[in-house]
Amino acid sequence: MKNNLEELRNQRGLTQQELADQVEVSRQTIISLENGRYNPSILLAFRLAHLFQMKIEDIFFYIPEDY
Amino acid sequence: MSNTKNWIDKRLKIGWIMFSIGAIICIAGITSELKITNRPFDFRIITGLGILLLGIGIGQIVRYRIAAKDGIVAKRIAIEEHDERTVLIRAKAGNRAYWVSTGLVYILLMWISFASNGKLVYPNENILWYFLALAIVLPFGIYLISILRDERSS
Repeated sequence: MKNNLEELRNQRGLTQQELADQVEVSRQTIISLENGRYNPSILLAFRLAHLFQMKIEDIFFYIPEDY
Repeated sequence: MSNTKNWIDKRLKIGWIMFSIGAIICIAGITSELKITNRPFDFRIITGLGILLLGIGIGQIVRYRIAAKDGIVAKRIAIEEHDERTVLIRAKAGNRAYWVSTGLVYILLMWISFASNGKLVYPNENILWYFLALAIVLPFGIYLISILRDERSS
């Protein structure tokens, strides 16, 4: 699953640690999310969407071939 | 009292319990080594377990005492411990270790069963001891390697 988390984070001038603190995960999780190595739980996806005031599908992009 | 504070206090309590049990086991092991002459088995295995628990207990106490004094550190530690990716990696590692452990015990069970039927020789005490030791050490090794591997790859 791809995402534009890094872009959104940079737009808001947040560091990885600051974003991690706001959604209550480790910095390593943010790094893995940004690199596309980890897919978030639905709860974390909602937290990020809530933080960025966006819909989940505007942050994370489901690609059927990835499944 | 906040949830984080409650959680830190609980972890500290567990740390002290492990430290106390470790100390008791350690003392019991050392005393047995010194006092009992006709030993049915090597008491260092008891002392070793005590040292392990003692070490884990001290580690917990040090980590969470620092957290108890500093709210920011406490929150960060709580977040790291409950981090969904970390929890998932540990669960996967635990699952792999469980199957390795089950496999080893199953092999031993089969061996004993076949030995009872006279198809195989009974494992002698040494072999049995090493096999059981392997059934503890190997799953633990798998658990640690699995965590390290998944930390890098996910």
